[in-house]
Amino acid sequence: MTLSLSDPTWYPIASSEDLPFRHVYQGQLLGRELAVWRADDGNVNVWENRCLHRGVRLSIGINEGGELKCQYHGWRYANRSAGCTYIPAHPADAPARRIENRTYPVREAYGLIWSAANDDQPFRPFAGAEGYDWFPLRPMPVNAAPEDVLAAIARLAPDDQPADILPGLAIRFGGTYYFVQPVDASRAVIRGLLSTQPDLATLRSNNETLSKLRDRLERLAARKPAPTPLQPAFDKVSADLATMPDIAIPRGNTITVVVKRKWTSADGVIGFELAARDGHLPTFQPGAHIDVHLPNGMTRQYSLTNGPGELMSYIIGVKQESASKGGSKVLVETVREGDLLSISEPRNNFPLRRDAVRSVLIAGGIGITPLLSMARFLDKSSLPYELHYFTRAGEQVAFRGDLEALHGKVILHTGLPRAQIGTTIATTLGQWSFAQHVYVCGPAAMLETVRDTAAAQGWPEESIHYEYFKNDKVIDDSSAFDVELARSAMTLHIPSGKTILEVMREAGLTVPSSCEQGACGTCLTRVMEGEVDHQDVYLNKSEKVSNSCMMTCVSRAKSARLVLDI
Amino acid sequence: MITLYDFELSGNCYKLRLLMSILKLRCDIIPVDFYPGRQHKADWFLRLNPFGQLPVLKDDELILSDSGAILAYLAKTYDETGLWFPDDPAVTSEVLRWHAVADDITSTASAARLALGFFYDFDIEKAQKGAHRIFRLMDEHLWFGEKMGRDWLCSPAHPTTADIACFPYVMLSEEGGIGRQDYPALRRWTDRVRRIPGFVVMSGIFPAGRALEQA
Repeated sequence: MTLSLSDPTWYPIASSEDLPFRHVYQGQLLGRELAVWRADDGNVNVWENRCLHRGVRLSIGINEGGELKCQYHGWRYANRSAGCTYIPAHPADAPARRIENRTYPVREAYGLIWSAANDDQPFRPFAGAEGYDWFPLRPMPVNAAPEDVLAAIARLAPDDQPADILPGLAIRFGGTYYFVQPVDASRAVIRGLLSTQPDLATLRSNNETLSKLRDRLERLAARKPAPTPLQPAFDKVSADLATMPDIAIPRGNTITVVVKRKWTSADGVIGFELAARDGHLPTFQPGAHIDVHLPNGMTRQYSLTNGPGELMSYIIGVKQESASKGGSKVLVETVREGDLLSISEPRNNFPLRRDAVRSVLIAGGIGITPLLSMARFLDKSSLPYELHYFTRAGEQVAFRGDLEALHGKVILHTGLPRAQIGTTIATTLGQWSFAQHVYVCGPAAMLETVRDTAAAQGWPEESIHYEYFKNDKVIDDSSAFDVELARSAMTLHIPSGKTILEVMREAGLTVPSSCEQGACGTCLTRVMEGEVDHQDVYLNKSEKVSNSCMMTCVSRAKSARLVLDI
Repeated sequence: MITLYDFELSGNCYKLRLLMSILKLRCDIIPVDFYPGRQHKADWFLRLNPFGQLPVLKDDELILSDSGAILAYLAKTYDETGLWFPDDPAVTSEVLRWHAVADDITSTASAARLALGFFYDFDIEKAQKGAHRIFRLMDEHLWFGEKMGRDWLCSPAHPTTADIACFPYVMLSEEGGIGRQDYPALRRWTDRVRRIPGFVVMSGIFPAGRALEQA
């Protein structure tokens, strides 16, 4: 038989015990090098053994429990999806979420880790697999052609018990199975399975038998011409997986999720666990949010609280406001466990740097959600951080159990009077020094306090990161002006009382938007000419002053005409 | 006062830096240009160590050479716990046995690395084969060790100088063209060594991720 690169057979590639937590195992199947690692949730990942940046082997990377970090340049990839979650040198501190390493199918069964070169065949147990507590022998790598190894094992069978050759380079005699893992054309690993738990003497004797077999096979192989090694192609990552989604393309792709769990996380905060119906959800970055499409037709943004590599479900926290106009109220009052919801892919307007010497996370109320996610990422990477969580009363502390599981400095500030909140923030921040970053999420007043205090204490704008949930400002839409859409070759008149976004939609354009209150950044547009009347809370001061970009959902023009890059 | 005559890229010098870091010992480093300067064959160095080999360690007036011998000296002199080079004769002989293996690793894996990276005139293929032979034995020893609940090369329930002596040129083997894919138990052991409190890196030897228990 000749080995084929596209052979869809499932072969064992490791023993379960080869994958202790926080280890990265180096494997190979049919010429392809594999990085194999177990995440803290038990999931086994089988990936192509190279970082997408420079092809450095990921088997020398660091298994952080939810992400695998490349040792050389710090690129990180998420458990389950192999989606890249961090590129240190990326100007936006956030990679395109679609950059993904190549993964291979995986199954853990009978004390072995199984994989295949492709997804063409479902995994099936070998005949007689069920009903035993299998014990994997010490794997025996052999520098010889896999088919020669198989033939040699067959000759180990006693005369009265001829070997039973099974599909997939497997062989059975008595209660013992041997699987030959085809590493390459001239290399194999013998993986034995015993149907009973052996004692040490049995293990020694098996090991001795296989060692002798290996030595004999290698002596024979050395006398034969070596077969040509398999030449797996290093496919380029497809453009779809390796590029930033174009801002002008509406991101209409939605995912259907099941409300797996709904619970009261704190007084006034309802937790929702949204699970994928099949497999895992897309990769996300700390600080990312999803749009949730509500039964009443509204769309609302909620931050993910998940830690790294937790892709089986997203967990969000929703504030239960008695005076709520509709969005969250619908979610809290009418959506039940078992219901289906449409959500967007995660987007990140609140990227976390992971090269800081000190990260200060400040949360007010429900603003804890993105910061909890950030804390979990920093925690798993053993990076220094402190999380300050301000609530009016102790009962309002949401996700308390999750906070207690963190190893960083988590400080709850409960029921402080407003003045004291200010001084606490000032003391917490201290004077800025190089590579310190602060992240804040909470009510508008708190954001202002943190921004002003930080600025007063020498923190540069680039080191202050914040996310608004909503725009509390009163929008003045009394102006009227023209917009020229440079790409669309269209001029539109914007009357008072209508937003640029609304008029563009009426004119038949499909433009992305989400919160429509100047808080989320989805409708960010480049401005080519004209003076903008910014009314959003998304852009920072210097971005606003630069007059080079704007939010079309709330902002308007001070000049008679604006030219936009749409 | 301890002084180490050191070459940053030498695994044998790194063994001493590693143990001194673990024992929290301070030392002065005197760099010796092993390559390309060949200062280890210079007259002033040969007066320190007539064998013309790095490392050399000076502790006040005492001048010592051979990394394995110095590891034993440092542990016996400065390790108050007595764990790194235990006094029990049976364990001492076990440790010395693995110090000898460390020398075998130097003459194979390190020789291949010197040939490929430092242009030494060694038989690369022979050195690589020799390294694979030792790594196979180590992998087997460590796999059965794990089965018996032993994490380290020697029988005590903690690392000894034997682990330090064998570690660097195992980690640097790829620089000599010797892959470690076939030695999963050996690779797991290198994770454990890299998690010893006080572990330091050198060029080519990088840290492991934190273990789950400590994370």
